[in-house]
Amino acid sequence: MDKIMTSKHIIKSSDFIKLANNIKESGRYLLGIVANDERSINSKFNIRYFFGGKNIIDEYSIPVDENFQSVSKICPAAKMYEREINDLFGLTPLGHPDLRPLMLYPENWDFSVHPLRKDYDNLIPEFKKYGDYKYKEVSGEGIFEVLVGPVHAGIIEPGHFRFSLAGEPVLQLEIRHFWKHKGIEKICEGKDFNEALNLISRVSGDNNVNIAVSYLEAVENLLNVEVSERAKHIRVILAELERIWNYVRDIAWIFMDIGFALPAQNLFALQEELMRLNKSLTGHRFMFNALVPCGVSVDFDSSKLFMVDNIIKKVEKAIKECEAFILNSSTVLDRLEFTGKINKKTAEELSLCGISARASGLPRDSRVEFPYLIYEKFNLKPVLRESGDVFARTALRIKEILLSVKIVGGLLFNLPEGEIISLCENRVEAYKYAVGNAETPRGNAFFYIMADDGGKIFRLKYIDPSFRIWPSIQYGVLGNIIADFPLINKSLNLSYSGNDM
Amino acid sequence: MSFLGKLLFKNKTQDIVSGNSDSGLIKGDELKRSVDGIFGRSLFVRLVDSGSCNACENELAALSNPYYDLERFGIKFVASPKHADVIIITGCLTRNMLNPLLKTFEFVPEPKFVITAGDCPETGGPFKDSYAVCGPVSKYLKVTMHIKGCPPEPEAIISGFLRFMDMLKTSKI
Ligand code: SF4
Repeated sequence: MDKIMTSKHIIKSSDFIKLANNIKESGRYLLGIVANDERSINSKFNIRYFFGGKNIIDEYSIPVDENFQSVSKICPAAKMYEREINDLFGLTPLGHPDLRPLMLYPENWDFSVHPLRKDYDNLIPEFKKYGDYKYKEVSGEGIFEVLVGPVHAGIIEPGHFRFSLAGEPVLQLEIRHFWKHKGIEKICEGKDFNEALNLISRVSGDNNVNIAVSYLEAVENLLNVEVSERAKHIRVILAELERIWNYVRDIAWIFMDIGFALPAQNLFALQEELMRLNKSLTGHRFMFNALVPCGVSVDFDSSKLFMVDNIIKKVEKAIKECEAFILNSSTVLDRLEFTGKINKKTAEELSLCGISARASGLPRDSRVEFPYLIYEKFNLKPVLRESGDVFARTALRIKEILLSVKIVGGLLFNLPEGEIISLCENRVEAYKYAVGNAETPRGNAFFYIMADDGGKIFRLKYIDPSFRIWPSIQYGVLGNIIADFPLINKSLNLSYSGNDM
Repeated sequence: MSFLGKLLFKNKTQDIVSGNSDSGLIKGDELKRSVDGIFGRSLFVRLVDSGSCNACENELAALSNPYYDLERFGIKFVASPKHADVIIITGCLTRNMLNPLLKTFEFVPEPKFVITAGDCPETGGPFKDSYAVCGPVSKYLKVTMHIKGCPPEPEAIISGFLRFMDMLKTSKI
């Protein structure tokens, strides 16, 4: 873990623009942008740009008064972050191509109120219309629009999609998100690490274990504690079990969306068995609150270990059969191949992560790049595909399930003895901050946490992989027919909740 | 038979086997009779997520897996509010979702009922103190019944439906 090099640079906004190109060319990619109101500490706002590479995290810190230079034109991945900062802090990214409000809707929010500023008085603007949100326009002969959502037809989360079409193929897709913006970062401020964990588990419920792993990486770094080997092993087992149930569900949905109900339902049944296993192991079907600061709240005895062993064997067999079924069925391949292609260049420009990056040939896997817990000892290599289509993302999930099964299988009967919770009475230094990384089933989960002078949270920023990946669908659907959109969407299976925060 | 082609359950009103060894069975016949009697064989439900963490949606989606397969008892999640008898609401109700929620509700034909599922819609859950949240749902809509849990497990949701139909039968609504 200590092999990750972090280098910190403090730099002027105008100089950073000149540097941004070099950073990009060095192969580093944007992990996140974090704004922080530090006026009470050093009379400035601070905007921190984090770039990642193998075993490296570069941080560029820019002191800001009220505006800063946008880097979106050089680094398109920065676009959404800069819009977010414009909303929540009222700091303007100069030269940004699109400064429409992001999560604070003009339909109900007064844009002069920026809730993440420390001098925000907690007064909530009256619920009324303050302005309009302007959608992009596509015009021309024969062009028509299809509007979908925010409330969708199925059991899914809300989001608004606008397709512009000419005949069958999609010409443009515009997504409007943040319907579920809950203001979680603000609620975390002033909370202690335990209280905040309860909220963090509910950022994106189906990925909560892996998100908590990332959060606790940052917290335990701040507290300067090392959790016991046993706790680390248990965290990895639970995190990989979460990955397995997520991917089993994702593959089931892909079968469902191409009309293969029987394999889909059998996989949904397997997902149910995995969730029942979660419950037997941790008392909760999603394993909420199984992880705690400085350890884990659940221990494994031999009966639990055998339960896990049994089910992962079943998963392995089922998934191998799935793989053969897909590869040998031309009707399945016909739907999956060349559909929803996100090419490597797009993936690079948007700083994608997780399955979405690996399916387009980018070797990004936080377990490998920023090894945490005990991942280093597995000597993992990111599993890659080049084609960037639905098939690549499906095939990767299959490979990754098998990899997770192998990881879990190898740990089960080699659990080190010891306590599951370490003693931690350390106090955090005032205004110290740390970052955390973990690979969720969707990709990299990134935390930035700064403590205040009483050991509570001064600023917490969480970046969900979905936040990075959502814009890429707008490229993935181009030229596809609208009927394939649900399939493309499911192949990425992003979280709305984690994105909207 | 191979894994993918296997038929897991064959009996239409087979009881639902609980995942918790202590809470026993949910009687398939009883559920079917209630739906048949009160809703003329089909209870149509429309979901609105008003700002959940997505675990609640996962559990609602789980109701369609072969272990529960609610549709065989006549309870169906429908695509349009115009087809629905009930809207089931999850999530803490964010400011941004208030209008879409009210609009969806407006389109449900009378008689209509609101069921809330999960701790979030009842109290705002862990998000209640946020600037972005305007729940609980009961501030804006008359809630007929609430299903507790964070998230409520599939069995809890099914028992919720049964309880709801009992209330209708004894006209406690
Ligand atoms: S009730 Fe719990 S599980 Fe459901 S949306 Fe709220 S936090 Fe998530």
